[in-house]
Amino acid sequence: MTLWSLVLILVWLVTFVAGQLFFKRAMELSSVAGFRNRKIISILSAGIFPMTISFFLNLGLLQRFDLSYLYPFQGLSVIIISLMAAVTLKEKLTLQLTIGALLISAGVMLVSLS
Amino acid sequence: MRDRPSGFANPWFQLGLNVMCVLAYELLLKAGAKATADLSKSWSWTGITGLASPLIWFAMVLIILDLMIWLYVLKYIPLSIAFPLSRVVDVLVPISCWLILREGISPLRWCGIALAIIGLAIVAKPAARLEERL
Repeated sequence: MTLWSLVLILVWLVTFVAGQLFFKRAMELSSVAGFRNRKIISILSAGIFPMTISFFLNLGLLQRFDLSYLYPFQGLSVIIISLMAAVTLKEKLTLQLTIGALLISAGVMLVSLS
Repeated sequence: MRDRPSGFANPWFQLGLNVMCVLAYELLLKAGAKATADLSKSWSWTGITGLASPLIWFAMVLIILDLMIWLYVLKYIPLSIAFPLSRVVDVLVPISCWLILREGISPLRWCGIALAIIGLAIVAKPAARLEERL
């Protein structure tokens, strides 16, 4: 793997995680304020933008690498998103949830490495 | 988590639907990306050349549908529970390849699948408790 691929994979991960966090924030607000709210629309758009980047990067990476090679990185996203949801969205991250997320991450990585 | 609707609109059911969509579009994307891998060397890293494949367009329709389902799920279920549970798809892909395509699964891979299933069960427990509180 070249340094360039590693950078692409990292950007893919970061944009994916950021998109998910924006989506969750927007949907949280929508249950209080309804959908027509301008703030919600801008947060949703802020989520769609990095998601689109991550979508095309994912395609580009899939053209170069096997799905099984890219999957471990996708596996990492489970634990990263759980942690980031706790930090940025103040979701309650119990020990049980953390262990569960870690096991899923490890399991997915093992599935793709073998 | 707010009061959740029942039946088809139940967010847990929708989460299941989301997983099915992801399963379908992941396979479509891989097939489409493979078919267009050699189109243009200089642009292939952006993934944009994938648009030449109809499979990618079909996958994109599924992705948009899936996005709407996912946003609906997020309205009711915390991200730190919904996202790990949605990764059940990572277990379903190799298992469906094994069942349908008769692909072999190495012992190490079975270990990974088992590990992920245990993790899913652990995450599902707080999810069940969340449900009870309603």
